[in-house]
Amino acid sequence: MKDLTAAVIRNVRVADNIYEMTLSLPEDIGTVRGGQFLAISTGEADQLLRRPFGVLKSTGTEVSIGYQAKGAGTQALCRVQPGRELKVLLPLGNCFSLDGYGKVAVIGGGVGIFPLIATISQNCADKDFFSYIGFRNAGAVCYMQELSRSGKLVISTDDGSYGLHCNAVQAFMADYPGLDIDCIIACGPLPMLKALKSSLTAAGCTVPCYVSMEERMGCGIGACLACVCKGSDGQNRRVCKDGPVFDMADLEL
Amino acid sequence: MADLRVNLCGRQLKNPVIAASGTFGFGKEYNEIYDISLLGGISTKGLTLKPRLGNPAPRIAEGRSVILNAVGLQNPGVEEFIREDLPFLKARDVCIIANVAGASYEDYENICATLDGLADIIELNISCPNVKQGGMAFGIRPETVQEVTRVSKGALTKTPLMVKLSPNVESIIRNSQAAQAGGADAVSLVNTFTGMVIDAEKRRPLLANNTGGVSGAGIKPIALRMVFEAAHSVQIPVVGMGGIMTGLDAIEFMMAGACAVQVGTANFADANAMPRIISEMNAWLDAHGVRDVSEIVDTLTLN
Repeated sequence: MKDLTAAVIRNVRVADNIYEMTLSLPEDIGTVRGGQFLAISTGEADQLLRRPFGVLKSTGTEVSIGYQAKGAGTQALCRVQPGRELKVLLPLGNCFSLDGYGKVAVIGGGVGIFPLIATISQNCADKDFFSYIGFRNAGAVCYMQELSRSGKLVISTDDGSYGLHCNAVQAFMADYPGLDIDCIIACGPLPMLKALKSSLTAAGCTVPCYVSMEERMGCGIGACLACVCKGSDGQNRRVCKDGPVFDMADLEL
Repeated sequence: MADLRVNLCGRQLKNPVIAASGTFGFGKEYNEIYDISLLGGISTKGLTLKPRLGNPAPRIAEGRSVILNAVGLQNPGVEEFIREDLPFLKARDVCIIANVAGASYEDYENICATLDGLADIIELNISCPNVKQGGMAFGIRPETVQEVTRVSKGALTKTPLMVKLSPNVESIIRNSQAAQAGGADAVSLVNTFTGMVIDAEKRRPLLANNTGGVSGAGIKPIALRMVFEAAHSVQIPVVGMGGIMTGLDAIEFMMAGACAVQVGTANFADANAMPRIISEMNAWLDAHGVRDVSEIVDTLTLN
């Protein structure tokens, strides 16, 4: 874990309200694994909290994130010009660990696709991926090439303007009986994860499912206990330190 | 290099910068970023007799130059702290301040008795705005401030007692004096200001708890005034906090009368905030020819 000053070398729009930012790091920190995240200062003096973003691409000295310009912080970030320096704490949290799995189903929606893209690209050499990705509409569709690497890709949109007219969980469950998979990974809005859990339970699925959780964070390193989610034992889990990736069976969603 | 050592309740701190309770856990996580023995002290996450789960999430939000938190005293309980976390802190050369909270006078008495002799200083949390029972309930009226201080002090034979005051009160002067009258060895202030942030699209408060404690740079002028008032109304030491982001902020709190400072929210904005603040204080003191940091305490000239 390092607290570094990174230079923004690229910050571009990739879809409606979706941006990709690439940071040049002052040292080689190794590969930031898919699922791990960064806590970035927005560079605005009146925004005290760093923003957590799942890694999209990582090469050791460069790291990219994808983000949606939504609140004050991400709106400030999307105005940042290349050359600007931002403070970044990384790598944080755990990753999607696919050791021992060969055929992986990927369920993603919205900004949840970024850690999944990193996971696919870091594991595509020796694993097959079956990806079910939901977007709001055709204007939000992005990263098709990255998502389709090493496997099947099914796109759906909420309004049917691109791909299937359903959500990612519905698209996946329609194919599920015919799929030969040994692991599921998912990242997206909480309602999507809840729907996935109940659908898998209803289908009697025993395949392990790993989900990446999202929560508003303070320190990002496990000290402040702001970003908790509920474990199936009733105890809290720190999203930033115990996660963000959890075995879905270990969470009360 | 100025002499940064300060004395607090008979304990020598290597510098006046203390991690504020609730922002620093029990030190383990920040120790992965820097050696926490660089710090003057660490005030632990608020401890209760029994483990507490705290409030639902979201527990944190942001306003302009401030943050709000409503963690609700999630902690493993004092017994697990003593078993799992205290040894780690004891192995470091840093003043250990155990922050404790309760829902009754008996709770405060028992937790103080449990920690007597184990921590370097006990900080009485009577000002947490995020728990329904106890916490701030004891910290609002001077009568209960004095009584909870008296009861807690009565349970302590070895460890000095510092009372952390709430700013959400009628008179910080009367409450400081009440803590002193109850036997406090020091007071620390300010805890957070109760506040609210709203998501206009959803027409809902952003925090699951609806309200939370406001901290960060935006509260500094109010905190500074309160620390000044407290320091000039009691004879015991005052530890100042509230929006300290830089070494200069810390210097100002000490000029207003604080003998040491606590840093909380700045840790979130900058994980290395406290080592930076210590070196910035040093640089300021050197630049102004001050050889001992204690020389600046309570040195304001009023207009």
